[in-house]
Amino acid sequence: MNDALVSFEDVALGYDGTPVLEGLTLAVRPGDCLALLGPNGCGKSTILKAMAGIVPPIRGIVRSTLDGRPVRFGYVPQQETLDLVFPMTAAEVVEMGTYGRLPLGRHVGRTERAQALTCLEQVGAAELRRRLFHTLSGGQKQRVLVARALAAEPDLLLLDEPLNGIDAPTAAAILTLLGRLNSEQGMTILLVTHHLGGVRDVIREAIWVHAGKLLRGPASTMLAPEQVRTIIEEDFLS
Amino acid sequence: MSLLLEILSPDFLLRNALYGGLIIGFVAPLVGVYLVGRRMIFLGVALPQVSTAGVAGAFFWHALFHRHEHPEGDFWLALSGSTVFTLAAILALAVWENRSRARAEERTGVLYAFAGALSLLLVASDRIAEIGILGLLKGEIIAIPTDELLVLAVGYAVIVAALWLFKKDLLLVSVDRDLARSFGKKVLVWDLVLYLIIGTTISLGVLLAGPLVMFGFLIVPPLIAGRLTTGIRHLPLAASLFGGLTAFVGFAVSYKLDWPMGPTDVALVCVVLTLVVTTQTVLGWLRRAS
Repeated sequence: MNDALVSFEDVALGYDGTPVLEGLTLAVRPGDCLALLGPNGCGKSTILKAMAGIVPPIRGIVRSTLDGRPVRFGYVPQQETLDLVFPMTAAEVVEMGTYGRLPLGRHVGRTERAQALTCLEQVGAAELRRRLFHTLSGGQKQRVLVARALAAEPDLLLLDEPLNGIDAPTAAAILTLLGRLNSEQGMTILLVTHHLGGVRDVIREAIWVHAGKLLRGPASTMLAPEQVRTIIEEDFLS
Repeated sequence: MSLLLEILSPDFLLRNALYGGLIIGFVAPLVGVYLVGRRMIFLGVALPQVSTAGVAGAFFWHALFHRHEHPEGDFWLALSGSTVFTLAAILALAVWENRSRARAEERTGVLYAFAGALSLLLVASDRIAEIGILGLLKGEIIAIPTDELLVLAVGYAVIVAALWLFKKDLLLVSVDRDLARSFGKKVLVWDLVLYLIIGTTISLGVLLAGPLVMFGFLIVPPLIAGRLTTGIRHLPLAASLFGGLTAFVGFAVSYKLDWPMGPTDVALVCVVLTLVVTTQTVLGWLRRAS
């Protein structure tokens, strides 16, 4: 696991000291394009948050270093969790992605604003830059949040249910963008989803969260209809 | 015009009250932006009340142990009580936020009710009535000694500097805590920094202007600015300008009409908010109709 961007070693995850998942061992390597799959409530988002350092492990070790420095994460939350009272424009939301790289006391300047605009252009949302974030549609918000994650210049892009609540064309556009980022720029991507069909052509590997364990394999195998049916039936029966 | 010239004259008798009101008017909304943005408006009511209870508590304690003697340095005694109570309340709220299952508004509501009751009980006791701090608790802004004004000015200058220096981090933990954690930020530490700023602003302001004025200037100017600006970049500045301008006009009106200054300021800023909301609503109707 030495070459991994993020690795889990016998990790237990949960909330309030109660484990939901135990004995997790996992490595995400540079260039990976992974989907984390499973039914609602199985702990997919918790795994993602543990990778990003948002949820600490109850037991075990989570490592995230690259060339001796901390891994930079581009985190895309579920869009409905970002409930803004602050009247922030789409551009200002994207600029927040640069905050992690700016030292204490330094504010967003021309460079960061230009970079935020570039990221908005990259996701095809430059025309939204002056719109208030809370007035955008679900799909538009999702694009802006992906742009914010890109503004962090991430080593690893983590997306939590990026296809939830958005129409099919927007979902396809987001998946195409992710596929391009991975194949053309070599960006490492891990997304949590339960939209199996859409991700089939984009990801290389899939990880099922099944019966408290992680089952990992090539996308073609893990998303094969028989495999999906078996896992879903077992989850349903359990 | 003559009123304006009189008020702005360096020899104006109530100039310290004007300067004090202006300082609070300009600075409190900068802090209030975070209270509004984090849906902590009710905290803006509760903390000034806690601060007031702290002032009453400090004088009660002094009267209890010093046999009703008038305390030397009213201001410092009041400031100590106000600061200790406010910071203790903030610390308790921060701890409860992480440990308690009760909703934030339940905790804040209980705090407000308790602080309000405690203030009234302490003020009603014969020990405090004798040393006459009712004026201080009401926030009479008329007579502010220069040294107290100086403390307010220096304290609020530090607060403005902290808000500027930590703007990015305070905004980040206020808007998206998960993103802040993914950047490796210590969210609890930044929460405490923000609470310290809020607590200091309130404990200093309540001494000179009272709880009503503090709540008014913390909350209403950011609400006005939020309706008139697009984006977070200009919001604090706009809120501060609205607060400062209202404080000035409120002072002039209260001086001219011989009304109490604090309630005049708060009523004025609420009238401005009502006008803005009404105008925007009417313009919206007209736009839809055409």
